[in-house]
Amino acid sequence: MKNRFINYIFLGFVATGMAACSDYLNILPKGQKIPLTYADFEPLLRDEPGVHHTRTTQATILLNDRFVNASSLSYYRLWDANYFWREDVDRKELNNTDEDTYYQSYASIASCNLIIENGEEITECTEQQRAELVATARVIRAFNYFILANYYAAAYDANTANDKKAVPLILSADVGAPHVQVDIAQLYAFMIDELETALADLPAIGLTVLHPGKGAAQALLARIYLQMGNYPLALQHADKALLVNNRLFDWLAYYELNKTRIDEPTDYTLKETPMNHSYVENYYFRHGNDASTYRTAEYNLRLDRIDRFEDGDAKFIARWKLRTVGPDTYYASMMTGYHNLQGLTTVEVYLIKAESLARTGQVDEAMEVLNAVRKTRILADKYEDLRTSDPVQAIKWIQRTKQNELIFSIVPFADSRRLNQEEIYRSTMTKTEEGTIYSLTPDSHLWIMPIPFGAIKNPGNGIIEQNVEK
Amino acid sequence: MNYKKSRAINLKWVTPLLLSIILFSSHSIGQISVKARQVNAKRILNDIEQQSNYRFVYDESSIQFPLVNVELTNASIEHALSILFANTDIAYKIVKKNILLKNINQSASPVVSINNQEDVPQRYTYTGNVQNEEGTALAGASVRLKNTDIVTSTDESGHFMLESETQKGIIQISFVGYETIEVSAKIQMGAIVLPMLASEISEVTVNVNTGYQTISKERATGAFGSLPKESLEQQRLSDLNTLLEGRIAGYHDGRIRGTTSMNGVTSPLFVVDGFPIETSAIQFNGNVEEALPNLNLEDIESITVLRDAAAASIYGARAANGVVVIVTKKGKAQGTEVNASAVVTHTPYYYNTSRITSSADIIGIEREWAMRNPQLDTLSAAGANSWLNQMIYPTRGIQTILQRYAGKISESEMNSLLDEMANSGYRYFDDVERYGKRNPFAQQYNVNIANGSEKNRFYASATYKKNLLEDIYSKDDNLGINLRNTMQISNWLSVELSSFLTYGHANQQTYNLLSPQFTYMSYDGLKNADGSNYISTEESWLSLQTRDIIRTNNLYNMDIDPLKEMANNIQQERRFGNRSYIKLNVKFADWISYTGSFQYEFTRNKGETLYDKNSFYVRNRVNGFAREIDGQLKYLIPYGHIFATNEQNNNSYIFRQQVDINRSFGEDHSLNAIVGTEIRNNHFTRTNQTSHNYDPMVLTYDMLAPGIGSGGGVLGTYAQFDQRTDVYGIFDQVRRYVSLYANAGYAYRDTYLLSGSVRYDRSNLWGTSSKYQNKPIWSLGVGWNVDREDFFDVDWVDQLKIRTSYGIGGNIAQDVSPYLTTYYSSNPNVGGISGTVSSRPNPLLSWEKTTTINVGADFNILNNRIMGSIDYYRKKGEDLLASAQGIPTEGFGYSTYDLNNGGMTNHGIETTLGATVLRKDDFSWNMNVLHAYNKNKVTYVDVEAPVYFLQIDYPNAFPRIGNPYQAIYGYAWAGLDADGMPQVYNEIGEKLTSTPSTLESVVYAGSTVPTHTFSWTNSLTYKNFDFSIMMTYQTGHKIRNSDLPYLGGTSRFANILIVNKDIAHRWTKPGDEEHTDIPRLVFPEEDLYNAQSENIYRNANINVLDARNLNIRNMSLAYRIPGSCLAKFHIPAARIQMNAENVALFAKSKNAKNMLGGYRRPNYVFGLYLTL
Repeated sequence: MKNRFINYIFLGFVATGMAACSDYLNILPKGQKIPLTYADFEPLLRDEPGVHHTRTTQATILLNDRFVNASSLSYYRLWDANYFWREDVDRKELNNTDEDTYYQSYASIASCNLIIENGEEITECTEQQRAELVATARVIRAFNYFILANYYAAAYDANTANDKKAVPLILSADVGAPHVQVDIAQLYAFMIDELETALADLPAIGLTVLHPGKGAAQALLARIYLQMGNYPLALQHADKALLVNNRLFDWLAYYELNKTRIDEPTDYTLKETPMNHSYVENYYFRHGNDASTYRTAEYNLRLDRIDRFEDGDAKFIARWKLRTVGPDTYYASMMTGYHNLQGLTTVEVYLIKAESLARTGQVDEAMEVLNAVRKTRILADKYEDLRTSDPVQAIKWIQRTKQNELIFSIVPFADSRRLNQEEIYRSTMTKTEEGTIYSLTPDSHLWIMPIPFGAIKNPGNGIIEQNVEK
Repeated sequence: MNYKKSRAINLKWVTPLLLSIILFSSHSIGQISVKARQVNAKRILNDIEQQSNYRFVYDESSIQFPLVNVELTNASIEHALSILFANTDIAYKIVKKNILLKNINQSASPVVSINNQEDVPQRYTYTGNVQNEEGTALAGASVRLKNTDIVTSTDESGHFMLESETQKGIIQISFVGYETIEVSAKIQMGAIVLPMLASEISEVTVNVNTGYQTISKERATGAFGSLPKESLEQQRLSDLNTLLEGRIAGYHDGRIRGTTSMNGVTSPLFVVDGFPIETSAIQFNGNVEEALPNLNLEDIESITVLRDAAAASIYGARAANGVVVIVTKKGKAQGTEVNASAVVTHTPYYYNTSRITSSADIIGIEREWAMRNPQLDTLSAAGANSWLNQMIYPTRGIQTILQRYAGKISESEMNSLLDEMANSGYRYFDDVERYGKRNPFAQQYNVNIANGSEKNRFYASATYKKNLLEDIYSKDDNLGINLRNTMQISNWLSVELSSFLTYGHANQQTYNLLSPQFTYMSYDGLKNADGSNYISTEESWLSLQTRDIIRTNNLYNMDIDPLKEMANNIQQERRFGNRSYIKLNVKFADWISYTGSFQYEFTRNKGETLYDKNSFYVRNRVNGFAREIDGQLKYLIPYGHIFATNEQNNNSYIFRQQVDINRSFGEDHSLNAIVGTEIRNNHFTRTNQTSHNYDPMVLTYDMLAPGIGSGGGVLGTYAQFDQRTDVYGIFDQVRRYVSLYANAGYAYRDTYLLSGSVRYDRSNLWGTSSKYQNKPIWSLGVGWNVDREDFFDVDWVDQLKIRTSYGIGGNIAQDVSPYLTTYYSSNPNVGGISGTVSSRPNPLLSWEKTTTINVGADFNILNNRIMGSIDYYRKKGEDLLASAQGIPTEGFGYSTYDLNNGGMTNHGIETTLGATVLRKDDFSWNMNVLHAYNKNKVTYVDVEAPVYFLQIDYPNAFPRIGNPYQAIYGYAWAGLDADGMPQVYNEIGEKLTSTPSTLESVVYAGSTVPTHTFSWTNSLTYKNFDFSIMMTYQTGHKIRNSDLPYLGGTSRFANILIVNKDIAHRWTKPGDEEHTDIPRLVFPEEDLYNAQSENIYRNANINVLDARNLNIRNMSLAYRIPGSCLAKFHIPAARIQMNAENVALFAKSKNAKNMLGGYRRPNYVFGLYLTL
């Protein structure tokens, strides 16, 4: 018996030893995976906080669009510098807390790079699905570069675009991937090239509103060409985008539906925003508010900012209401939900088209396009067609509407920088607060945001230079 | 004649002999293992004494011990003795726990030889009784007339009689385990008390159990720390941590020898009866938390802490943090013993109001606000009304002031109202104590039975604990049942079976009166004047605008009735667990055996909370998810009871096979070795589930509206929604390990020792690629028993061993991966699944390695009056997983990732001393002193905080080279400025009143881990009374004071808070900055206000306090009821004991004492312990 027992024991030993070599250790931890298939990769583009969220906080603050209370200004010194247009302040030094725009954009780029890089190896999908997914990622990547270029680098100017640095161009998601801080011309060329490449593989409308389709790609091309001052091409792409979607949301109808609540000055019940994922104007949805993972109200408006809205603007009346809390008075946001503040919408394309028309001598047509937009915004009793044959006046009107329509996105900032390059449109902003007069000139260095300290200090595999001194 | 005389002497043996026959009935089964070749039998006696409860009694001068060859494994005492003395001239008899030895051949005993001198005319007879301090007779004690051959031993009643021809002389009395004493000879000597040896009081653990094997301490080369046995008696056995703190040098705050990992596990590995126990629990959010093992603490036989590499590296990839080995009781060798205890603990409720602002202080501050607020000068009645309506000042004091401005009350009415409030002291806290709290009361009962026979040993225990907690609806109870049986099936096969079962239930109050979800000040209360409950109505805490939204949309009422809320939503938890094992031991030969063991552990936790639909929780939650969709109000969460459940199931098993080799070669060489394999599987799952509008009677529920998510609805308040907890969540983790290990110890003449161990571990975790898993974890140790050397002849040193070891231990971080991994969740906005990168490819990841070098010595000196050990160690962590800041341009600017590039050292000295200070008559005083010095230093990291405030907020994510890992960082305090505003220095030494926003301005302010920890235990015994006191002293560390005498806040409006009372000593006028560091009171409504002031004051190094403290942790007073009182109840032993826990804490400052939790009431413990 003893011997038999010993035999069993040795068998046991052998079995244990075998287990070590066999599949015993090959079970994978659950809850995560190593992405291989289309079904593993595609969801990366549905990650809203990671891929589809950009705040352009400092741009909005510099433009004095947003109401910021005194304690926030006292707490965030970079906000204070931009809000009061303090040219003497070294924003580079302060920009170690407000790294958002840069970090978020490059995080989104990294996810796109991952898909573009692995595109060939993605399994369990059709050739078309694979090409489409890669093309979608290219559009989102280009979109991020547009924001970065218009926030951290000088405005596009054909004369200097080859001399001035833009932002680092990184094309791989690998750890230690190299990047080059290309010049502005190169970056714009890259974006255009990417979008053109992508267009071949994109469906007219993406898989979801988070997946840019042809319409979004065309809209972005229109935005880029406009920024470059290439109006004919901007017009061309705007038209192509409108072929995919040309619907405008009927804010008048919205107003009618919510009239009682909107018109009651003390009713602060928050309404659902219609500008959400299913907004009819969407080509592409992108969060721009503070939050992308939870529903929240929009930013509040500065009291003086409302002067630049047209009388009877239903979109404005529905979105903000006068409110006083203690000593602070401002226009409080009356909408909650997820807001497409930073994405691509038909209204932007309409307004790009309008400006391109005006720029190319078709002022009447431009006004027609502008009025088409206004008709869905301005309450009937206040509405009047705007008519002019002066392209400058036309563009100023178009800009007024555009600055309001796309408030809190990169566009008003990008447009201001673009127009500041033209003598006829440039203007100095001024304001008076507590008796002090502040002004922001069109040539101020404040129009370029410093690259965050964290990115400069920890550059990875490449060299990053600041594009602004302070 | 000779014959006659000798018979007379031998008569003294008769009674013990008879007794021994009675007692012979059941002696132990296998407990003695001795292997020796050509060794003096006397040394084997020592071994047997160490391994059993028996003592040898003999007269050294009369017995010649021969050299013997013995090999015994788990032999009984009789067997051992029969083998040992088989071919010798020595006869033995067992009397109770004493083994009397005598030389057979020497027919003439020494006593007899005296009697040869018959012609001596005068003879004196000395008689006396030898007993111990407890009055128990000592049978078999050797009694000798000094410098003569006249010797005898005491009989069963401790009595002796000695005859001599001299009238004067010194009587020497010796007994194993007791001090040898000398008294002058008298005819009637009466009772002579032998004091116990120091070594018997301060427990010496003779064997050390590593969980894999038991080796004699003499043979060990590693640094082992043992829990002094008496400490198990001196304190309440309430939790494992308090049992170890202050009792084992180097164990502090749940860690052994400091922190050894930056991202991995830092808690030691717990091993119970040879099996590692990983009591991990998955939290509601899927995070895994390590916990202490569950067992009946009364069952603990011994606790050994393995501190250095030689001791711990056998545990391989989990050894770097040290190992705590717990051995539970096995059962009695013979007969039956029953122990029972009942312990109750009373803790008076205490909330320390002495440090916080009273009603008067707060009213004073609110009055000052009114006085200094420039806006009030121009405030119209309408303005005041609108402020009131907006609820921008939620405290009653300011509201009363504003009511005056609004014209609702007159100035005198205002003042009398404010005065009344100011006079209410700490009303809110008094009410909390009166209506919402109780004095915690704990009960703990234990019964254990041990039974042994020749073939079997059995042990069973049951512990029932019940705790009534401070919150009146919180309580828990737990029953633990432990069974253990060891069977000797044949002479080569033994089987051990054990099962531990635990069942528990807990109720947890979810509503906390100290954060009741509305703002309260000291002057508020929980009962109205008429005795009804105070209700915080919507009007008292919500703005008019919010109330309008509630009214116009017909939302649910938002009143809060705190005293009623307490009884709502009680969280219930049930636990059930079982841990069972079987061990099979096969002895192939005397020197080789095999052990196969298998343990299966299962625990199940089930939590349930029924949130009542009337509770504020439900009303608030339903309102928070009310949205207006297409002009219609919709509740995304349906109104009704909310039923939240969660269930956790943990299964794990270990299968281990091991061969033990124990062999001597020739006279001088001996080898013991183990080699084995182990497979381990841990499987944890957790599910959360929540049903809304749940009907507990009909068992129905409603679905949630689609598209529900976190954030605001019509109210605009933030409402948190997480699918994984609010609908359904599942977490599943499997960890598997396969290991191969070997350990060998070699001893030359028991003097020179060499040991080594090696282990390979592989796991299924992603954390390591196989390339690195193949690296072995190993150690080497050498030891030298100096006292065994012939040349070593130092009288006062009884034992001395010098040892050193070197080796590496591993550590695992469970959640890192060398591959690109992603995780997924559903996307509520566009549908489908959303994926996120959780880790980027990191192919160089490996297990962390910690190299430990240890030099130590163990000693017993001054006749075993002082014993102790001293160890120096240096632990060097390499390849530690350190965070590296992600590169922003690569898209990971917000995240850190883990790289095996961190370095950290811990070096230190640990001293353990036990001493018998005084021993006189009925009094004895023993002392244990521990000291541990630990210095931790980060030697390498490649990370820097990307932003200054992260350095302060997350010091552990961004350690700085050269500083301890557990560090506090802050700003360098620059005093108050001329306006009384706080200032700090920036990196170039300028004083700033705003945040210096550079990393360089953030300075190191100290370590949170003490560099020196002392523990001092005194045990005093007088007659039947035992008194002990345990104190600890810690120094060299800091604590951040978060309880500041400052209002602060970044809000736009005055932030009235209950703060530290020292606010009374604040800056009030220019010049005060010379003698106070407490900033002025400044409200956001004033121009001078700076929103950054709080940040710089809070984080200034002036608020990093010296944390040195003296803590009287435990005092106990026990009375052992004398046997005479107990005899009639047939109770062999009984003890009553009173303890006070957390008696007092002394710190350098009041604030430090407060932060260290020093303001509290002690726990008063009363216990009754019976042996039946």
